Amino acid sequence: MIKSADFFTHAVQHTPKLLMALLILPVLGGLVGVLLPAFGYIPALNKMSFSLQGFNALIDTAGFSQMVLLSAFSALSSTLLAFIITILILACYFNSPWLYRIQRLLGPILVIPHAAAAIAISFLITPSGMISRLFSPWLSGWQSPPDWLLPHDAWGISMILGLTLKELPFLLLMALAALAQADLGAKLRAQHKIALSLGYCPMTAFFKVVLPNLYPFLRLPVLAVLAYASANVEIPLILGPNAPPTLAVAIMHWFNDVDLSLRIKASAGAVIQLLLTITLLAAWWLLEKLTKRVSQTSIINGKRDYAGQHIMRFTHVTTFILISCVVLSLAGLVLWAFAGYWRFPSSLPEQFVFMHWQNALIQMHTSLINTLLIGFSATFIAVIFTLFTLEAEQQRAQSLSRFASLVIYLPMLIPSIAFLFGLVWLQEQLNSQHALFNVIFSHLLFVVPYVFLSLASSYRRLDPRFANLAASLGATPASVFWRVKLPMLISPICIAFALGLAISFSQYLPTLLNGGGRIDTITTEAVTLASGASRRVSSVYALMQMLLPALAFALAWLLPKLLKHYQHKA
Amino acid sequence: MSSLLAIQQLTIWRQQCPLIDIDVSIPGGEILTIMGPSGSGKSTLLNWLTGMLPQQFHAQGSLLLNQQDITHTPAHQRHIGLLYQDPLLFPHLSVAGNIAFAMPKGAKQHRSETISQALEQVGLDGLEQRDPASLSGGQQARVALLRVLLSQPKAILLDEPFSKLDSQLRHETRQLVFNQIREHQLPAIMVTHDQSDADAANGKIINLNAEEATHA
Repeated sequence: MIKSADFFTHAVQHTPKLLMALLILPVLGGLVGVLLPAFGYIPALNKMSFSLQGFNALIDTAGFSQMVLLSAFSALSSTLLAFIITILILACYFNSPWLYRIQRLLGPILVIPHAAAAIAISFLITPSGMISRLFSPWLSGWQSPPDWLLPHDAWGISMILGLTLKELPFLLLMALAALAQADLGAKLRAQHKIALSLGYCPMTAFFKVVLPNLYPFLRLPVLAVLAYASANVEIPLILGPNAPPTLAVAIMHWFNDVDLSLRIKASAGAVIQLLLTITLLAAWWLLEKLTKRVSQTSIINGKRDYAGQHIMRFTHVTTFILISCVVLSLAGLVLWAFAGYWRFPSSLPEQFVFMHWQNALIQMHTSLINTLLIGFSATFIAVIFTLFTLEAEQQRAQSLSRFASLVIYLPMLIPSIAFLFGLVWLQEQLNSQHALFNVIFSHLLFVVPYVFLSLASSYRRLDPRFANLAASLGATPASVFWRVKLPMLISPICIAFALGLAISFSQYLPTLLNGGGRIDTITTEAVTLASGASRRVSSVYALMQMLLPALAFALAWLLPKLLKHYQHKA
Repeated sequence: MSSLLAIQQLTIWRQQCPLIDIDVSIPGGEILTIMGPSGSGKSTLLNWLTGMLPQQFHAQGSLLLNQQDITHTPAHQRHIGLLYQDPLLFPHLSVAGNIAFAMPKGAKQHRSETISQALEQVGLDGLEQRDPASLSGGQQARVALLRVLLSQPKAILLDEPFSKLDSQLRHETRQLVFNQIREHQLPAIMVTHDQSDADAANGKIINLNAEEATHA
């Protein structure tokens, strides 16, 4: 293909490299920035020699092994639970319209920030929460809230519940997206039918025929979920135990401590966190191999039914409980946000007031502006980079290398707590004092993978003949891009933009760390408020966190329709 | 007792309009051919026979297999084998695994001997451990046939089973399939576009939507 030599073509051609650098340098730089202090090298504190002091301090920390175990246990069990329930739902409703209804019911959880979801769940299970109110006093006999230690229970059960509820819709969506691929979905459904005609009960047919061929499409999402669950901080902060907390939360506390020497310990902790995540990923991989090995003979042993009816009934009940949990926690959140006086066992407040909203809206003025400013800047940059990278791919007529696609998803797989501190240090070295800029830059790292993931397939599916046709009519590459491709892709671009905004709105750690604690967003405020203060104010913030991405997606859905409407009128 | 598949006074509607009207019985070893243009309801009929009729259709009439009413039996309990135009071998299992999957439970040794014998009969000896994707189209079609037969079905449905094979292979495979069906004395229903399939089946032929087809 003959390349045109105009400015646009040059710009586009260099974008992929620039994007790679933009992602690799901060992540790798951040990792180095954690590794050096972990081994005692901190020039700022005049420590220029290497030592194991940080790791020693870590091991001497009371409850250190408990922290590691808690992180590992909660990550593994929540991922396993979310995965098993996803598979059960798929198996049970494989040929039923209910599969898509369940997805539609659970789907909105996807864009709810982790912090908001955690707050909603904490209000569900807390002693005076929706569950105990619904069953009191008629069943439990409680006239005052029971004395149980939820949500911050020592076993991390609340935290596991929160992680499971949040990750399940993601896995389900990924599975349905794989099944929606025309060739794969049709083939798997036909093979399922064959298994039925061979006398297999629907559940067994799913497990023996569909799952082995569907799992490869779920592997990466599951690993991403596992990595995230092992290292995230919002959910353990709001739902997890306090003494000791998970490793990631402890690291964050050490890093934010006024005592700068704790940074060595924190960095050593970040290294351990990285190792922990890698170990968990390896453990999952091993578990997968083992399951495959063990099930190999039973797949072909000819057994047609393994208590399918019971498993189906169990799945119906589990799905019902899941959906009720979601509905109840959202309802609880809304009720608290408008509640006046609300006595314990009654399930509804005695009066509804707007006061909490009025107060909160005045308070959240600055953080709202920050949230929007950071979100729009990061997403705008991410969308431009993604579009140019995809355009470069089409100009070169070959898709991105495996290495490049891996780099794009790097920030999704590497625990952010393991490189963000290094990035902060790096930004300090570069004397980048502008907190807002630093935050936007760090958000960009997390927004890019999602924007790319959401735009890539539609961009690649665009019929190349349109571009060829436009070129033959004399359009330059730039005008083909701006005036033919982008208008045709307006809907997916709007969706990608909304997704980018939702991801940026939900970021907690990068905002806190890279902003040096000076930049408040709705999310950072919501997390701070969750640990105390008023349940009513907290609800307003959590709802605000949900409203913002919902609004973004509503606009993304509406805007292309409006544009079309006016175009055809003119 | 010889086997018999009987469709009794079947009418299938899509929303309110009747699509199919059939009353026929097929004794074991005989192949009923269903022909008709696309949209005439061939696959709808197959879906009804397998118990997988989509919701927008509804049916009246009954299906009897060896005097047993299976109209309301779920798909997996009907013992009606299916052969599609694509072999649809399971990609995660070997050739032998695909056949073993279909066979009833039993002693491992006995099962694997049966598989080897069956493969030999259709000229595929020694291919037990092969990945099905590495076989030729004709070989895949034969494995798919063995898979259905060794599941010991009481009747068999053929959904344009030879339409993806070229003419020489088509002839051979068709011969093999029909011979096996006659040998096992299975009642069979074949849906096809191709008159030569119908001629080779040498049985009853039902033309769906015949009037409209002749107009077209």
